[in-house]
Amino acid sequence: MATTTAPPITRTKTREPLVGKRIRRREDPRLITGTATYVDDLKLPGMHHAAILRSPYGAARIKSIDIAAASKHPGVVAVYTGADVKDVGPVPCGASLPGLRVPHHHILAQDRVYFVGHPIAVVVATDRYIARDAVDLIEIDFEPLDAVADPEKALAPGAPAVHPEWPDNTAFTYHQAGGDADKAFAEAEVVVKQRITSQRLIPTAMETRGVVADYNIGDQSMTIYSSTQIPHLLRTLVGLMLGQPENKLRVVAPEVGGGFGSKLNVYAEEALMGFVARKLGKPVKWIESRRENYTTTIHGRGHVDYYEIAAKKDGTITGLKVKIIQDLGSYHQLLTPAIPTLSVLMLPGLYKFQNVKAEIVGVFTNTVPTDAYRGAGRPEATHGIERIVDMLAAELKMDPAEIRLKNFPAPEEFPFNTATGLQYDSGDYALPLRKAMEIVDYMKFRREQDEARKQGKLVGLGISTYGEICAFGPSPATPAGGWESAQVDVDPTGKVTVYTGSCHHGQGEETTFAQLAADELGIPIDDVIVGRGDTAKIPYGIGTFGSRGTAVGGPALYYAIQQLKEKIKKFGALLLKANEVEYVDGQCIDPNTGKSVTLAQCAGAAYRAMKLPPGETPGMTATYFWEPPNFAFPFGAHIVLTEVDKETGRIDIKRYVCVDDCGNILNPLLVDGQVHGGVAQGLGQAMYEQAVYDDNAQLVSGELMDYAIPKATMMPWVESSHTITPSPVNPLGVKGVGEAGTIGCSPALVNSVVDALSPLGVKHLDMPLTAEKIWRAANGAN
Amino acid sequence: MKLTGTYSLPANMERAYEALRDPALLTQCIPGCESLDLIGPDEYAMKMKMALAAVSGQFEGKVKLTEPNPPSSFVMLVEGQGKIGFVKGSGAISLKPSGDAATEVTYEGDVNVGGTIAAVGSRLIDTTSKMMIKRFFDKFSTLL
Repeated sequence: MATTTAPPITRTKTREPLVGKRIRRREDPRLITGTATYVDDLKLPGMHHAAILRSPYGAARIKSIDIAAASKHPGVVAVYTGADVKDVGPVPCGASLPGLRVPHHHILAQDRVYFVGHPIAVVVATDRYIARDAVDLIEIDFEPLDAVADPEKALAPGAPAVHPEWPDNTAFTYHQAGGDADKAFAEAEVVVKQRITSQRLIPTAMETRGVVADYNIGDQSMTIYSSTQIPHLLRTLVGLMLGQPENKLRVVAPEVGGGFGSKLNVYAEEALMGFVARKLGKPVKWIESRRENYTTTIHGRGHVDYYEIAAKKDGTITGLKVKIIQDLGSYHQLLTPAIPTLSVLMLPGLYKFQNVKAEIVGVFTNTVPTDAYRGAGRPEATHGIERIVDMLAAELKMDPAEIRLKNFPAPEEFPFNTATGLQYDSGDYALPLRKAMEIVDYMKFRREQDEARKQGKLVGLGISTYGEICAFGPSPATPAGGWESAQVDVDPTGKVTVYTGSCHHGQGEETTFAQLAADELGIPIDDVIVGRGDTAKIPYGIGTFGSRGTAVGGPALYYAIQQLKEKIKKFGALLLKANEVEYVDGQCIDPNTGKSVTLAQCAGAAYRAMKLPPGETPGMTATYFWEPPNFAFPFGAHIVLTEVDKETGRIDIKRYVCVDDCGNILNPLLVDGQVHGGVAQGLGQAMYEQAVYDDNAQLVSGELMDYAIPKATMMPWVESSHTITPSPVNPLGVKGVGEAGTIGCSPALVNSVVDALSPLGVKHLDMPLTAEKIWRAANGAN
Repeated sequence: MKLTGTYSLPANMERAYEALRDPALLTQCIPGCESLDLIGPDEYAMKMKMALAAVSGQFEGKVKLTEPNPPSSFVMLVEGQGKIGFVKGSGAISLKPSGDAATEVTYEGDVNVGGTIAAVGSRLIDTTSKMMIKRFFDKFSTLL
């Protein structure tokens, strides 16, 4: 066995770590050159294509369906309606709340449709265009019914019942309290109240959903390719829906072009394509059009919240009462009713008051179900507390920075227990705020603002200090387990593949996890690849959502590598005939002789297995399932400077400064990317986006012409920087940053515009801050 | 969506009232109308083509004339369905004299649309409807 001798006197210096470096994403070249494989790129032999007929009504009875003409259309292979899929299990709701009403969610409508876009029938044809044309040949006799799309109208007496069995349209009510809010309000020196909304949003992933299902008649196995964030959970749940044994069901998430929570779900079409493939014994593909995406993939937010805050005259916040009206849509998707409970957990924001009383009313409406969208419950809560704290500051004529600094817990109070039952892991909440204030030169700006106001200019500064529940999460706090898996394989030639159960889809773990593995194993990053998204290759995993990829998947990988390193060292000692070796820079070194063997030599020996270390097994692989002891809680401060044009209602963002603390940073370039993307979506909510249903529950913002997502030209220059407070809950000290930008952005922007308009008497504005809304507010028009 | 407007027709009230209920004349004047066949008392089956923004398609539906109060008012109910969605509306039409040989027609309607045309063309429904009504009356005046 060949060995090499290390330099005689000093050992080679360990090389500079890759973790912490600004390394460009390794996955990008294929993504930007069109050589990546998305679901729609899959072409299986003999593959059929599906198109789906959907309801044009918000509510209607289906009196009859005639599929004769569609079935006879040349090229059409099959047409299935609700009657054919009665025995397929319902689209699952994974959330449980006391007394939750769960309507049976068939994969195709039975005798009634509940929202525009509700799937009614599927046409399978030899070609996508034929399938689409044949959809138009299906004749349906509808009896239109009254529909309701507005959650507050749905709660009013006499409103149309979305589900006839529950005429009050209430899916659940939920109460949570901590401390004694009633006492706090009774003793309050000042109380401020405001109705604050977080409008319905459409997630708009660049890649719409798509499914290819394949069924092998020979061994009765099924493969489902889906643009999903959760391949293993999908396998379990779709397997149950279809009665397909889980060990004969493989789920593959190829390249996923954005999810933002909208692909953290199990959809009717995923089971429907499995049903069709099994029925026909042929592969079948369905690709969602953008219009379908807008009327069938989950929406986000949909809050009408009533806030009341109690405080002392010196600005000490003493209590908070909030009533949340959550627009659920017509059905529960995977996590629909759970999302507003996350808002409740986050209600205190970063402040230390201990008296909270919250109520949620979950309301059925004739609309697409709402569910997790970037931030999922936390942006709503952060927007609420950051708006109401600004309004409290205005009421008390206090500086909005001062009131925040006054109410943060001190660094020595961590871990800090909140009134809503969370334990904030670590933090110094004043740190990012002071840093952001320094960057914008806060006192100077306030002086300039006074001057500008004298000249009639409407300039504003908005602060938001946000906290976020990340690293979802300890298993008892999640519906399906909150751990994550990792596996490390070293090939006989020393090349390394790490597999992660967290199914990243744009977050960049192909790069960051390779950095981590290369550092821990002391090998070049080019010797590491990161595998994901295929249940046939990867140990059961939970998936990517809730800023958990790095914060839960990362530690799983870290521990898998530590475990494997022990094995590598045992083989190293065997080869070097040493009692013990050190593992440095990809080599096992005998400290007594300075002799070393490489990782490849150790791995080769482990697979050849001529001789085994005592008690050791052949092969060079390790698997680790890591359970986090707590969530991790990143935090930060965003400050936005704006100027509003009174004549046009246009908002000019002068500066956008964010200071985010997400704990240790594996790759600053990717963290910046996450923050910038998050800010874009936060800005979308604050200024442009709104899913609008009319009085008949028709979605009138049904395509990108009418639904205003922010474009590159609408983005300000984001001045992004960080403070670093490592998390004690995981060995990497990371906290999570996927949703930070979105959560921090919208209250900062709205606070800034309200500040700009405050000389005109404006105290509050609901999102989105369209030019028309601003003009009306600035000009006293209704 | 509410639609209201007035239009002046170059005919006396009796003639205008009669013409506004004449299927042959209406077929010629309703933009995109392909046929209007009597299927019952004051009830017609209608086929028409409609285009709104990037979507266009054929509609099949019914037109019903009710609450006749000659020569000063009636109510029109329209219901249509097509592959690009559906339209349902009602309109109160009232006439009043405007000089000897002219009549002022006032319409007050409520229109609901759904399906693709609502999702895609909602911004344009208002202006398209107004344009179609104007084209209707323009042609109607020349044929009256």
